[in-house]
Amino acid sequence: MKIIYSFLSILLLILLLLPNFVSDYILGIFVLIFFYAYMGQSWNVLTGYAGPISLGHSLYLGIGAYISTKLAMSFGVTPWIGMWVGGLGAALVGLAIGFLGFRFGLKGVYFVLLTIAFGEIGRLTVLHLKPLGHMMGLFVDFKPGFVNFHFRGNLPYYYIALGFVVFSLIVVRALEVSKWGRYFVALREDEDAAESLGVNVFKYKMIAIGISSFMTALGGTFYANYIFYLHPTSVMSMWVSIEIIMRPIIGGLGTPFGPLIGSFLLTPLSEIARSYFTKAGLEGIHIVIYGLLLIAAVLFFPGGIFAFIKKIVKPILGESKEI
Amino acid sequence: MKKKMNRRTFLKYSAAVGATTAIAGVPTLLRAQAPEIKIASIQPVTGVLSDIGISMRRGNQMAVDDINAKGGIKSMGGAKLRLLLGDSEAKEDVARSEAERVIKDGATCLVGPFLSGNAMTIATLCEQRGVPFVMDVAAADDITRKGFKYTFRVFATTSKFADSMLFYMDKIMKEKNISKIRGVVTNTGDLFGRVQGATFIKALKDKKFPIEVLGHIEYPLGIQDLSAEISKIKALKPDVLFPVARPGDAKLMIRELYKQRVELQGIISPGSPGWYEPEFIRDMKALADFVMDNVPWYNPVGKMYKEVNSAFSKKFPGKYIDTNSGYAYLGVLVIADALERAKSTKPDDIVAALKKTYFKQDLMVGLAVSFDERGDNVNADTAMIQIIGQSIKVVLPEKAAEAKYIHPMPKQIWDRGV
Repeated sequence: MKIIYSFLSILLLILLLLPNFVSDYILGIFVLIFFYAYMGQSWNVLTGYAGPISLGHSLYLGIGAYISTKLAMSFGVTPWIGMWVGGLGAALVGLAIGFLGFRFGLKGVYFVLLTIAFGEIGRLTVLHLKPLGHMMGLFVDFKPGFVNFHFRGNLPYYYIALGFVVFSLIVVRALEVSKWGRYFVALREDEDAAESLGVNVFKYKMIAIGISSFMTALGGTFYANYIFYLHPTSVMSMWVSIEIIMRPIIGGLGTPFGPLIGSFLLTPLSEIARSYFTKAGLEGIHIVIYGLLLIAAVLFFPGGIFAFIKKIVKPILGESKEI
Repeated sequence: MKKKMNRRTFLKYSAAVGATTAIAGVPTLLRAQAPEIKIASIQPVTGVLSDIGISMRRGNQMAVDDINAKGGIKSMGGAKLRLLLGDSEAKEDVARSEAERVIKDGATCLVGPFLSGNAMTIATLCEQRGVPFVMDVAAADDITRKGFKYTFRVFATTSKFADSMLFYMDKIMKEKNISKIRGVVTNTGDLFGRVQGATFIKALKDKKFPIEVLGHIEYPLGIQDLSAEISKIKALKPDVLFPVARPGDAKLMIRELYKQRVELQGIISPGSPGWYEPEFIRDMKALADFVMDNVPWYNPVGKMYKEVNSAFSKKFPGKYIDTNSGYAYLGVLVIADALERAKSTKPDDIVAALKKTYFKQDLMVGLAVSFDERGDNVNADTAMIQIIGQSIKVVLPEKAAEAKYIHPMPKQIWDRGV
């Protein structure tokens, strides 16, 4: 484990120093890497660790983004505070969905359908709410300043997004080694067996969805103040949920590093391929390459890339070393 | 002893020759070339709106090619424009990322991006980076109400749509000695339909306009049968129907008006895409005649339009300059005009020049491009188009008109021998 911590410390040091050597554009790519890694990690808490598959996480992203932005625009509340309110709002909604799903024992695809349905209800509701900009969307005022979470360069966004990633890693690692985390994994592996051993399935699933939706919503505030435009279709639709879950699936579900590895692979690939092919006037090819890579990842690394790395590294570190 | 040329010596000599050329030769060549100014086009070239995005990029690119063919930016030694390409995929985060990339690649000014949400993201980024941005198409009022210093818009705003509609209705009513119109407003239940319908009714009320709204009928998008709605309209006995429709329900509506023999003086849309789509006219034939629609449009009688459209059709067979590609072309012309006057590629100089823009054009309906303090083109306008003889004609404003509008309809829908 020491080796992993040393490696992570070095990586963190490199990432902290990186802005000295790269342009705003590259920093922008890293911001997206961190953002999607963080969102993936938030989803990972529920689906990767505890098991229930959610395809409606964009709902929590949207709730976080809209609540903190509306608080800032209408009541002058700084997004630094608004993000926690958004997080609580999303956690309440997450708990309500969880209550319906877990109380009535919805499993597998039925729980997936429930999350999709609530995601769509959320999207359609916002689409019809005038105070939230309905179909026109919410245009965020640009007021540069730390208090407003608005910055001119990408540097502050870079460090904030990096902070989000570190925060999520700490949360997940703390969960992993805690009693809760063990229960989560037990639920994921065999719910009936866990229950027969006295694990309160309902309670721990509720805890998982609460943490997951809360964390996702915090990311929503970051998105709103980085992109400056919120529309139900661009923050609350199904494709946003898919975008969120792609990284942990490719990187490795139920592992702390999976979402990070997935995001480090997929995000720059998509950016670089788009930039390269767009410059050459061959738009659309990058989407094909992205699709091919996803197929390849599923074919060759069915357990995620992290599992593959683990397999290679373990014999080198020795069987006894835990990663 | 004669030295043999082996691989190493060959490389050594090559390197020396290369270095000499690099130091002495290339700068001479560079000095001889006209400088190059990069501008960037960000459009939704892939994704759900790719047809529109491609058409708009073609508009941007053709304008750049035409300016270069005419000698580039003359005040800067004939500097040629180079268009950097960006693809927003119709997504905000991608639009931001692409805008960031083209700015890094040296774009002095950005143009695009069709979608208001993408426009907002790019406008904010341009404000952060201090790079001018000219929106070719994007209608949401809010973007330019954020107090941006670097953002300008050549397209009409949403509120302008309603204002122009009332202006044209006023003209028609005065010319035809109509003191009051009793109308029914219909719209699809999607949000576009709702907003258009509600904005029109609100504008009528706010301005106390002499159009009495007898009824406001809404139906779901994708409806298969409009018989009940048309019965309601028939019972209300309106003079004019003001429908906000898409191609599918536009066809249903006309068929049902025909079947139920609803007597109307006119069908005048406050602005919706259902009525000018080629498939609507093709399928409805004579039944489509005399429908009017209030939309941003190209100027069919303009000299510039004729030239640009003919070149565009030649370059892209089967395509023509429409509202989107037309504004995309105009956006680049406005940037080139600002560069010409600014004689500089410094952002603040370009912004200062853009603020003083008075760019005469007859490519699109509307007068010379000129920006107000918000950055909106005060002279951007919509046109009233009418289907006459199963083809679309601009009927108002008169300056751009191809034909005189026909109101009231000379023949009722059921009376056209179809």
